[in-house]
Amino acid sequence: MSFKKILILVAPLLLLSFVTPQEVFSQESANCLICHSAMKGRLKTAAGVLMELNVDTDRFQASVHGFLSCTDCHLRFSDNPHSSPDARVPSELLSISSEISSKYPVDPVAAAACDSCHEVIYQKVLGSVHGRNITVKNQTDGALCLDCHGSPHYITPVKDVNSPVGRRLQAETCGRCHGDKELNEKYNLEENVMESYEESFHARKLHLGHTGVPLCSSCHNAHDIKSKDDPDSPVFGKNRLETCGKCHEGANEKFIPAITHKPAGPIPYYTEKLLIVLTMGVFAFIVLHVIAEALSDIRDAIFRKKEGSE
Amino acid sequence: MSRQIPPDIERFNIIFRIQHVLMFTTFLLLSFTGWGLKFAYEPEGLSSIWIRVWGGAETAGLIHRIAGITMLLDFIWHVLYLVYLFARKRMTIDLKTTIIPLPKDVFDLIKNFMYFMGLSKEKARFGKYSYAQKFDYWAVFWGMIIIGTSGFALAFPMLVSYVIPEFTTAWIWQLLAIMHSDEALLAIVFILFWHFYNEHLKPEVFPMNWIWLTGRISTEKLKHHHPIEYEMLFPDTPESKKPADKKDR
Repeated sequence: MSFKKILILVAPLLLLSFVTPQEVFSQESANCLICHSAMKGRLKTAAGVLMELNVDTDRFQASVHGFLSCTDCHLRFSDNPHSSPDARVPSELLSISSEISSKYPVDPVAAAACDSCHEVIYQKVLGSVHGRNITVKNQTDGALCLDCHGSPHYITPVKDVNSPVGRRLQAETCGRCHGDKELNEKYNLEENVMESYEESFHARKLHLGHTGVPLCSSCHNAHDIKSKDDPDSPVFGKNRLETCGKCHEGANEKFIPAITHKPAGPIPYYTEKLLIVLTMGVFAFIVLHVIAEALSDIRDAIFRKKEGSE
Repeated sequence: MSRQIPPDIERFNIIFRIQHVLMFTTFLLLSFTGWGLKFAYEPEGLSSIWIRVWGGAETAGLIHRIAGITMLLDFIWHVLYLVYLFARKRMTIDLKTTIIPLPKDVFDLIKNFMYFMGLSKEKARFGKYSYAQKFDYWAVFWGMIIIGTSGFALAFPMLVSYVIPEFTTAWIWQLLAIMHSDEALLAIVFILFWHFYNEHLKPEVFPMNWIWLTGRISTEKLKHHHPIEYEMLFPDTPESKKPADKKDR
């Protein structure tokens, strides 16, 4: 066989190099997904907690974590299938998982496993007012990674329009708790933060597609969020000079009260009522005058024609 | 017909006409862009599309600011021009030609309403400006004071923050936003119903009163709409000697 003949036979095989491999995740994940992509519905664990069993393979693969193996986070399930729940877990993850077990009774280790890659951020969250509500007060309300970022299997970059912490949906995500009346009462939080944000020029412009206006996290920070009464909070007292100053260069003490979540005081409130009365009054007068004049014109055209032409 | 009476007279000189054109172009731009922001959430999605027509939120905001400044300058120009006309004695206050509201305007209004309702056979007789036109004119002053100042403060908050007194800071920003937005709606409603009806839709002016362009009014129309001014300008004509009240249609 000549070299040329070999080339003709072999060259088409080069086309295969354009075919991208479908399976980007590890063989181990593939094994898990054989079952978990097909499983539907939720399972009630011994502790009485509902557990989601299904993993959408396509969305998982497209997520930023698509390259990870299941057991990178679900450390306790290192054997197939689930035979060794006592597998060795690094001690720092164990200590985190014990702190957050009230919130994640199903697999606290997996919820703690974010720390193995995102250590700095995770520590910020645990020290934040959200994290401390879980670790110190043992409540289940405080936000942890998944509450804001959604399921860890489907996390997309923050620039993605469907990211729950992105520009489009962030306020909605924060509002799930901060717009909740019961939670606001339970923790004595500022009541109408979501409404006042929505009313503000910031949120209106955001809704209209402005790319420069601030989201919740622009002023309150994201992971190391602090109570507004905490002197370290970016919205505490004079810290606002710097926070507002990020966009509004030269922000001063008379300028920073312009944005607040507090309900309108009596002066704006009654001025608005007065202006509404004025508008309605003027409107009523105008409409009455215009209609009366138009009707009299019609009347004159029909009944008083002769008088005019005389 | 007397030979002294010209076919038409000048009502608004070129400077007033330019001021009016500037006023209504900026008014329309401000209304179109501001409406999208005031009703950003409703109707769902439409405001975003509407704002995209104006080049997106950033560009619409820039258009709004430029138009706002232009309108304020136009207003200041108008006031300064009036001051100049008075100083040079080219304009004087005469009860028959002034645009200043007088008690007569209230009586004219009542008289007209009586006529509209068929309680009177006579319409009110006007000088150079009817009460409707005075209302139209002074509404701009109200708008410029309320919407203009609040708009300036909202457009340049940092500059204004140095001027406002300390005790007002807790509520003034909200107050400014409310003033600007609510009064802008009033202005739009006013123009849409009052000005549009009186200067565009009314059968006798439809599709528009051309004075904004020509600046001239025919003496025929002057006699009909502004009889007091007509009699003042042409006192010795035979028509004006006998009261031509019943000439009204």
